[in-house]
Amino acid sequence: MTTLDRLNDVFREVFDDDNMSVTRATSASTVEGWDSITHVTLMVNVEKAFGIRFSSAQIASLKNVGELVDLIETKTKA
Amino acid sequence: MLSIQGIADYPALGRLLELQLRLWPDHERFLSMRFAAANLAFADRVAALAERVTDDLERVATDYRWLCERMSDEELHFRRTGSYRLTTFEEANREVYSNAEYMQRYMNGVLLSHVWWDNHARVMEYYANSFLAKNREGYRHLEIGPGHGLLLYFAASDPRCSAATGWDVSETSIGATRGMLDRLGITRPVQLVRQNLFDASSSEARFDSIVISEVCEHLENPKLALEQLRTRLAPGGRIFVNVPINSPAPDHIYLLKTPEEGIQLVRDAGFEVESSVLFPMTGFNEQRARKMTVTISCVVVGTV
Repeated sequence: MTTLDRLNDVFREVFDDDNMSVTRATSASTVEGWDSITHVTLMVNVEKAFGIRFSSAQIASLKNVGELVDLIETKTKA
Repeated sequence: MLSIQGIADYPALGRLLELQLRLWPDHERFLSMRFAAANLAFADRVAALAERVTDDLERVATDYRWLCERMSDEELHFRRTGSYRLTTFEEANREVYSNAEYMQRYMNGVLLSHVWWDNHARVMEYYANSFLAKNREGYRHLEIGPGHGLLLYFAASDPRCSAATGWDVSETSIGATRGMLDRLGITRPVQLVRQNLFDASSSEARFDSIVISEVCEHLENPKLALEQLRTRLAPGGRIFVNVPINSPAPDHIYLLKTPEEGIQLVRDAGFEVESSVLFPMTGFNEQRARKMTVTISCVVVGTV
């Protein structure tokens, strides 16, 4: 299971949408309901799913799912 | 550029919006949600007041962004743990209240939150247009912790209010409130007193209208504070309690997890509940706010 696949599961749970399918290009501007609160909730759920921890700066700087995937893989390989 | 239908009729709001977005372009999406179905007239009124209380609106707007960033840090902790980061007054005093620069930036940010945050704006509108209007003619008014002075301004400028008083434990805050009221053109006497509401022996004053807004979540024992205020309410008097639910902030220490807990807090202090109104944070309706445990401003009007 790829990182993107596992992330997709997290997105489906947070957005309560079993049909959701994210790509590396997916961003807050392309997903309805992805506001600042949802973003923090999403990040905390990602932390729990992958056993990692983000800094506030990292959470604020992410531009799309692709950057999130890259950050997760950096942290999980560290 | 954000386009709000009818904004041309509200020049103060338009100016403030232009300034805020120049300083923080990424806030456009949030402000678009804010003004999707907002009362532009009241927002313009508050924006005009904000323009009057400061000589450096750019600094205030910069501090608003700073406040949002601090709130994001607290939100992250809250989402991770389900609790507020601080739990004692001593911690909040050490990190926030005793830091004059931090407090100034915080108060600047809170000032503009009453224009930019849906829940804060709607609470203020409800207070000004509904709560005060139902007070009896000649009401004697008390606000606990008047801070930026905007709520006290609405009471002090109400011709139906015979006397307006503010209590605060901080002489610095009292000075700031006095300055705000002066700049807002309040010429009638407003009694601003350094008074701890828990100190019953120093005052026997009674009031027909009391407001305690965004104070309870800063206290270790808000029920005790409300019980003290019940003894200050004259027969037939009304209290306006505004407490945020699930609202992580740098100096919030008392967590209420549901609106029902907020309403029960007022009942437990011995008040009859005249009414309660909920104002979810920007971009949320009540149902979604409850589901996602995001901030809801809970207003409870109590009587004795």
